[in-house]
Amino acid sequence: MIDLVLQALFSGILVGSVYALVALGLALSFGAMRIINLAHGELVLLAAYCAYLVESRTGLDPYAAIPLALAVVAVVAAALFLMIDRIREHRELNSLILTFGIGIILTNAILLIFASDVRTTSSPRLQDATSIGPVYAMNGELVAFALSLVLMVALWWWLKKSWYGRAVRAVSSNRAAATLMGISPVRTELAAFLVAGALASFAGVALYAMSVVQPALGHALTVKAFIVTVLAGVGSIPGVFLAAILLGVTEALTVTLASSALQELVGMVLFLLVLFLLPNGLFGARARRG
Amino acid sequence: MLRRVAAAASIALAALCGGQAHADEILVGAHMPLTGSLARSGQAFDEGMRVAIQMFNARPETKHKIRLQVIDDESTPAKAVSAVEKLVSDGAVAVIGGYGSNIIGPASDASNRLNTTYVTAGAVSDELTARGLKTFFRINNNAGYQRGMGTLLETLKPASVSILASTKEAPALLAKGLQKDLAGKGIKVTLHEFDPAITDFKPIINKVKLQDKSEILVMSAYENDYVGIIRAAKVLKPPVKLIVGAWSLATPKMYTEFPDLMNNIVGTSFLPFPVEMKDEEGKRFAEAYKKTYNKEVEYLSTLSFVETTILAEAIARAAEAGTLKSRGLPDAMRKTERETLLGPVQFDATGDNPRFTVAMGQHQGGRIVLVSPESAATGKIVYPGLPW
Amino acid sequence: MASLDSTPAAAPLEGAPPRATARGRMPGNAALVAGLLVLAALPLVLGASNYMLGLLISALILAGIALAWALLGNLGGMVSFGHAAFFGVGGYTSALLAAKLDLPVLLTVPLGGLVAVVASLAMLPALRLSGPYFALAILAYAQIFRILATEASWLTGGAAGFQRYPGLPTVFGLDLASRTGSYLLLVAVVALCALAYVAVWRSHVGLALRAIAESEDATRVVGVNSVLLKSMMLLLSAFITGVFGALNAHIIGFLEPDYAFSGIWSVMPIIAAIFGGYRTVVGPIGGAVVIYLFDQVVAKGLIAVGHQIILGFVLVVMVLAAPNGLVGLLKAKGGRHA
Repeated sequence: MIDLVLQALFSGILVGSVYALVALGLALSFGAMRIINLAHGELVLLAAYCAYLVESRTGLDPYAAIPLALAVVAVVAAALFLMIDRIREHRELNSLILTFGIGIILTNAILLIFASDVRTTSSPRLQDATSIGPVYAMNGELVAFALSLVLMVALWWWLKKSWYGRAVRAVSSNRAAATLMGISPVRTELAAFLVAGALASFAGVALYAMSVVQPALGHALTVKAFIVTVLAGVGSIPGVFLAAILLGVTEALTVTLASSALQELVGMVLFLLVLFLLPNGLFGARARRG
Repeated sequence: MLRRVAAAASIALAALCGGQAHADEILVGAHMPLTGSLARSGQAFDEGMRVAIQMFNARPETKHKIRLQVIDDESTPAKAVSAVEKLVSDGAVAVIGGYGSNIIGPASDASNRLNTTYVTAGAVSDELTARGLKTFFRINNNAGYQRGMGTLLETLKPASVSILASTKEAPALLAKGLQKDLAGKGIKVTLHEFDPAITDFKPIINKVKLQDKSEILVMSAYENDYVGIIRAAKVLKPPVKLIVGAWSLATPKMYTEFPDLMNNIVGTSFLPFPVEMKDEEGKRFAEAYKKTYNKEVEYLSTLSFVETTILAEAIARAAEAGTLKSRGLPDAMRKTERETLLGPVQFDATGDNPRFTVAMGQHQGGRIVLVSPESAATGKIVYPGLPW
Repeated sequence: MASLDSTPAAAPLEGAPPRATARGRMPGNAALVAGLLVLAALPLVLGASNYMLGLLISALILAGIALAWALLGNLGGMVSFGHAAFFGVGGYTSALLAAKLDLPVLLTVPLGGLVAVVASLAMLPALRLSGPYFALAILAYAQIFRILATEASWLTGGAAGFQRYPGLPTVFGLDLASRTGSYLLLVAVVALCALAYVAVWRSHVGLALRAIAESEDATRVVGVNSVLLKSMMLLLSAFITGVFGALNAHIIGFLEPDYAFSGIWSVMPIIAAIFGGYRTVVGPIGGAVVIYLFDQVVAKGLIAVGHQIILGFVLVVMVLAAPNGLVGLLKAKGGRHA
């Protein structure tokens, strides 16, 4: 029993770190612009298919696809931002529907280009197992975990220390005041959106390197990322990471202690409980849900 | 990619040009899930059908060529029903059904109302044949899968088996049936149902490893689940002696795409690979398939190849007898009795094929060897045998 | 700890569109119903094939959900991404009651709506949430209901699905199960729901809700209980969606959790309502019919696999170029002539 629980905790943490990787970008664009990018999961998926393309065509490691993924996703993310920026009224609602439409376009574009087959890495190095004491993991998962940790710290540093990061925070807390201070809100939001796209690129490549991807996955990724964002509460980057790990661990423990058929149910119930009972999320700075 | 675009364009063109069959051509309709959650299966079905029609039309004895019109049912029942109505109004003499009992049920009802023969290889629920429709035929069923897998498991005589099953319709049905069968034979069975959204199977595999300690791991699921499960098993290395799965597993395609995961895995299969001379039809099918799609035959393509061939032959018989226009096709279908790549096919009063049973094939270093039942076997099973 | 601050979220539908036509005035009941019915009679007069009627039936089911969705969005100020929850509950309820208790189908259909209302009570806490939070909380509900329907296999048949329950009956010599009968029934139900919508709009409740949409704070001062009114809109929306779920279940004749709670029932109505113009009554209905027929007849012919990509483009273009939908565009044109 102890071994079972230990492995569940470990697996949960590793899976959670990938949820975090997917959620960081969503949380950033949400925090900075009050916009839920419902196409975020599709951006991640786009990067995953870039990794597939590079690995299957060149035989290189999937992680060699990161420059390509960054470029492709940046172009799409920039286009997406320009469209959102054109919305004049009811920005919150209309952006939801707009990004949702973009998500449909991307999913079907991927389906048209890559067909509906299941894809995953064939690299033996990433697939091999490593054991740490009594628990086991695939190498691809360990790499994803490390990447997630590094990017979380990097994002935190960027928001806290860099000029652009501070501008993002200024614009998101008070757009008018930020403009008076000489910060261009559009350029700042674009920067936040591009950084979110970069995070999605890493997330997609990591996902391909440790799990299975198919065109219909994008929407599910967005939902998971949103759940994590709500659990975390707006405003805390390490909070996103912790909330994602909490979700991963809860899911793994549900499988271990109860039934694997209930895994998704528990995630959704946890989401609703936090939504109703903890308006700031688990790690959020202050109430924002009006 | 190019091929795909060309195919899409030709389908679109065909759709635009309308469905009026050429004078000496007979129109057969089909609805397939080319998009949506079952798109993967629908495309494999589509390929098998096209090869079957191509081979049928190329036969020297074929008098009336058959033309195929395929509509995407998007994995939704309402669209499948609409598709059937459209196909019949375009003059289709029969409809080949897509995938999933929830889609086949309403679509074959519609077809029955329109007195049009309906054939499927993608719906295994017993509810479908319980309706007793006169125009409904299917070549495979849950009982056959259950029997095929059960036969193998019984000959191996494991003390205990763990079944991992997706909560989707067909896998859940198969898993419940197997559980009952095996438990009846005194084998200890543990069933782990999982939500189709799950991606990390390590916690479940760990239960198999530490709690069940089963000798055989059975998977009743789809391709993406198989890959996830076998990968998790490769990491945790539970003390099982064999991993057995259901459909779409023991195929050359799976081996080409996931060579590190597939060795010694057993799944339901119809054909050994490389296809052996034993079966002339199978050999020609594999050749034609390779020529058209530049890949090895797939599991579902084989199913749809057989259903389409049987339908085409029944149409030819009915046309010959002059009963095609006077609704003689169901009778012609009922007279079917022939050996196929799936084994014998014969329809009972409900349209089911009671003789359907699957063979089990094992991935052995890039080859697929049929290992069960004994009558179909082309080699010996590697047991214990695992991918790692 | 880095922080990403922002001002509190605004209500998603706050603020009236610039022209009064889009919000302030509704077409008269009689004109609306007459217009709808003339349009609805056309296919029968022209002798549409079963195939065409089948497409229209599917489109009208979407139209019903789209109307319910737009009612919640327009009057309640809430965007839902989970109407599939009500749709599935309505379908399962009606099919189960008809099969297991032998109740007449014409009774089980409204009961399906009622049980959907009961299900929606569980969502009331979500009404406190704003914009995206509400939208995705409802999505979570739809997922939870899907899993519950899968797990409760003793009742629903689980993943294997549920079939062999009664179809629509014959009433006054009209076989409602036939294509023509189903079509007429759906036209009637959609028209009834549209009338109910208009009635609510004109009532005090509607007035108060419109006032809330203008300024929630101001109305709170004069003593309008906005949460109560919004709850009523949620329940009404759930009822309508449940009824259409029930009708669909009896028309299709097969239910399984993945189908009954499919995301399609949440997504297509949004596309239809946005396309038609969700601030009007005719918008969602017309939008559903136009978009469904376009998708199935035109788009499918152009791109066999992945034609939904065109729906995605439609959504994007409408949000950017015509946020008031097709009806808004037509009105703008008409306004210029008038």
